[in-house]
Amino acid sequence: MTEAKPVVVCTWSESQGEFPVGAEEALTLGRKVANALGTRLHWLVLGTLPETGMETAGRFGADGVDQIEDAALEAFSADVYLNALAGYCRQESPMLVVFSQSVETRLVAPRLAGRLEAGVLMNGVDIVAGDDGGLQATASAYGGDTQVVYELSGAACYVFALAANALQAEPAEGGPTQPGCRSISSDLGGVEDRIRVVEEARTEGPRLEDADVIVSGGRGLGGPENYGLIERLAEALGGLAGASRPLVDEGWVDSSQQVGLTGKITRPALYLAAGISGASQHMAGCSAAKTIVAINKDPDAAIFRYARFGIVGDCLEILPELIQAAKQ
Amino acid sequence: MRIVVCVKEVLDPDAVNNYALAGRLEIGEDGKSLTQTTIPRLMNGFDEQALEAALRLRDAGAECRIGVVSVGSDPATILKHAAALGADEIAAVMMEEPSPDYHVVATLLSSYLSTSGGADIILCGRQASDDDQGVVPALICEALGIPLVTNARAVELMQAAGETALRITRVTPDGDEVVEVSCPAVVTVSNELGEPRYPTAAKKIAARRMKPEIVTAESLSLSAEKLRPRVVALRQFVPTVSGNCEFVDGETPAELASALIARLRQESVIS
Ligand SMILES: Cc1cc2nc3c(=O)[nH]c(=O)nc-3n(C[C@H](O)[C@H](O)[C@H](O)COP(=O)(O)OP(=O)(O)OC[C@H]3O[C@@H](n4cnc5c(N)ncnc54)[C@H](O)[C@@H]3O)c2cc1C
Ligand SMILES: Nc1ncnc2c1ncn2[C@@H]1O[C@H](COP(=O)(O)O)[C@@H](O)[C@H]1O
Repeated sequence: MTEAKPVVVCTWSESQGEFPVGAEEALTLGRKVANALGTRLHWLVLGTLPETGMETAGRFGADGVDQIEDAALEAFSADVYLNALAGYCRQESPMLVVFSQSVETRLVAPRLAGRLEAGVLMNGVDIVAGDDGGLQATASAYGGDTQVVYELSGAACYVFALAANALQAEPAEGGPTQPGCRSISSDLGGVEDRIRVVEEARTEGPRLEDADVIVSGGRGLGGPENYGLIERLAEALGGLAGASRPLVDEGWVDSSQQVGLTGKITRPALYLAAGISGASQHMAGCSAAKTIVAINKDPDAAIFRYARFGIVGDCLEILPELIQAAKQ
Repeated sequence: MRIVVCVKEVLDPDAVNNYALAGRLEIGEDGKSLTQTTIPRLMNGFDEQALEAALRLRDAGAECRIGVVSVGSDPATILKHAAALGADEIAAVMMEEPSPDYHVVATLLSSYLSTSGGADIILCGRQASDDDQGVVPALICEALGIPLVTNARAVELMQAAGETALRITRVTPDGDEVVEVSCPAVVTVSNELGEPRYPTAAKKIAARRMKPEIVTAESLSLSAEKLRPRVVALRQFVPTVSGNCEFVDGETPAELASALIARLRQESVIS
């Protein structure tokens, strides 16, 4: 009997030494699919395994941890990472490779699919296995205005990226497993990225992705002169200032401040949105926040559907008072 | 030098949004498509910016032909828009299905590219605003075995000693990054590139006479096996967002503000 092909969850740390963002959610989904299909779940880690890695792997029910450690993987390079991954997949023949969606996996996952002749789906929300062993996957479309259910059939392997806010991480039922850890060798010495970086990106200060508190402003601010209110409230709450896309398009703020589908994907404890309508493309970047607070003059604004707390009113009047109250 | 821009026709995402925001977005009887027939169809916004990037390269002095290609059931309208903006050649790759699989689209596009004389620069949008996938450019780059640079906000040509390369400013989570890559390459363009130009009336009229080259799977000699879909849309639905918003009470802005801060402290959201 041939052994069922494994489900593989693939992660790496995007900032050195940190636990890979979204790994627990991806493992949760991987475990579910592997259970439904009666196959193994492997967690493939590129680069250094996080300190608590083995414990996490057990808690989320991985049957094995595979690690590719190589000096070439220390800093992200699409071509090098892709080579390592494609080599691994050719050897292990997974039926499904799950990534947690990020800017880096957005680059690597579809190219991996191209290289392996696999099927691919990004912005994934869920995968369910039918009784016949077939897979159906759901992904968001129109920024999240709709979701589409796809049948995955016709390819030997699928690559799937799980969106940031798609599901809650849940430890495996039936207690932790005792996965083994394999060190996979990979010959990456000769691989060079065909893209030469001539000027590195330089983050000016802390990043929205890592912020615990974010205060964002939208078109409801009326004009660039009012964006200072957002910055001052962010400062008073010890957080960072973000924005919706029109503010970037109009040049009020830098593009590094854009939250949303095509901007930053954030996961703060508190996300306060002032003068933002709540378009799905904006919410794609903040709906993973623990608590959303909305200030909008329109009581029917969509943002209130996502918010835990809301104020109906003019943000230009309310923001100055909030700055005061936050300082007290 | 030949630049080819890949453009997709999509439903106007702002119109789709407005229906969604009003809670009136509905799926038709086929269980797949949006019922709103009044939503205009247009060129994907990022693709319009990809074409703008090509036009800027030409404005900056690059000697090039700009081709625009689209895969779809009826891409003539957006291709004429591309011609009005300044495309030298337009090609329609006919595809009957309303939502063909990404892999099939990428196979058609890469096969068109390699049989029509190749391209030094292939420009795409960072993602299509209907499916948001952003996978077609990656699949093209792997099919052609050439590099991919994503999320460009500026694209410049560097020509030296018979070598053509690009210098690209990329939008990344850590700020802008500048990279160089030798041609041929696939580059995806992001909204940070800025407003695309509008066609002039005269160019619009001239473009009406331009006929797209019609390309089919047969004319590309692609077998059914090569065009077998792998990801097939079964149904589409509008997800419900379950709201449980607590509206804060107060008569004046000051009252509302202190009530909100008090609630956030009570719930330990802030200290
Ligand atoms: C492919 C694609 C990708 C996109 N990516 C992103 C993205 O990454 N991020 C993003 O943000 N958007 C993105 N968008 C745009 C998105 O669809 C919306 O257009 C955008 O988020 C709207 O921004 P807004 O809420 O600031 O403006 P509007 O929709 O104009 O809303 C303004 C809101 O402010 C309220 N308001 C007005 N005046 C006041 C006042 N004085 N006080 C209080 N409230 C007031 C109004 O009631 C309204 O709700 C994308 C769109 C597309 C098509
Ligand atoms: N049907 C199509 N015809 C031409 N180009 C396409 C098509 N579909 C996708 N593309 C290109 O690929 C980019 C990303 O699309 P997607 O992968 O569908 O999000 C688009 O912005 C286009 O440049």
